[in-house]
Amino acid sequence: MSNDIFSLVGSALEAQNARMGAIALNLANVDSITPPGSQPYRAQEVVFEASPVAGGDAGVSDGSDTAPDLGVMVAGTVQSNAAPKTSYDPSSPYADANGYVTGSNVSQVDQMVDLIDSQNSYAASVALLQQASRLDQQMIGSFQLS
Amino acid sequence: MQVGFLDFYGGVLDVRDQRSTLIANNIANADTPGYKAVDVPFAAALQAQLQPDEANAADNTDDTNNTDNSVQYRASTTVGLNGNDVSLDAERIEASQNGEAMLGATTFLHQSTNDLVMALRPNPNGI
Repeated sequence: MSNDIFSLVGSALEAQNARMGAIALNLANVDSITPPGSQPYRAQEVVFEASPVAGGDAGVSDGSDTAPDLGVMVAGTVQSNAAPKTSYDPSSPYADANGYVTGSNVSQVDQMVDLIDSQNSYAASVALLQQASRLDQQMIGSFQLS
Repeated sequence: MQVGFLDFYGGVLDVRDQRSTLIANNIANADTPGYKAVDVPFAAALQAQLQPDEANAADNTDDTNNTDNSVQYRASTTVGLNGNDVSLDAERIEASQNGEAMLGATTFLHQSTNDLVMALRPNPNGI
């Protein structure tokens, strides 16, 4: 049932939306600093997963009762383990004994590239949705009695 | 075995629909780590739709011939660092190609049905 294009593209849009949400969260925290001794903000990365299995022998739909649900889902989020940025700013209230302030480990450039990639995938899914809708309308329209 | 145009276009539309689902699935998984693009070979799948018995028999007796109608990996593009080989551009081209072919099949089906209905009509002149 849920193997039609619309629910499939819906799962893709949902997943990309979650990814863009994570990117926005990361970019918002790019300049967050933390007091010495506490954990700095770490970039969140959304991991996708094909649901539940795609390809191989299981994807054939001629059985019509054993066809698995296709689509994509968010498997979870992982935290980037890149090194946090430190800057020398002895006047900051969060500076440690040596005068260094610990910031987040978010790379603004990486996040923007990720955002562009996500937008590309989102646009492709939306284009597919529009095409499927147009095709359905035209096919129904071609059977109209004249 | 002779197939009528209804069977034929029914089979074509079935295979096209299956392909459109798989292409949509590929695009949905364009960012899934380790995902490989899948597709179904059109000619073999259509053959299986039109002559299911013969296609199955051929599959059982001879594994080397190319009539495998199951879903297969596309395996045509470079694999990215995260193990994903979906090319968004290629998938979109496939999607529009598949869609236009679907529309064409529908048009032919409609036209053929119209011709059949017209042939079945009584002669308006009564001759």
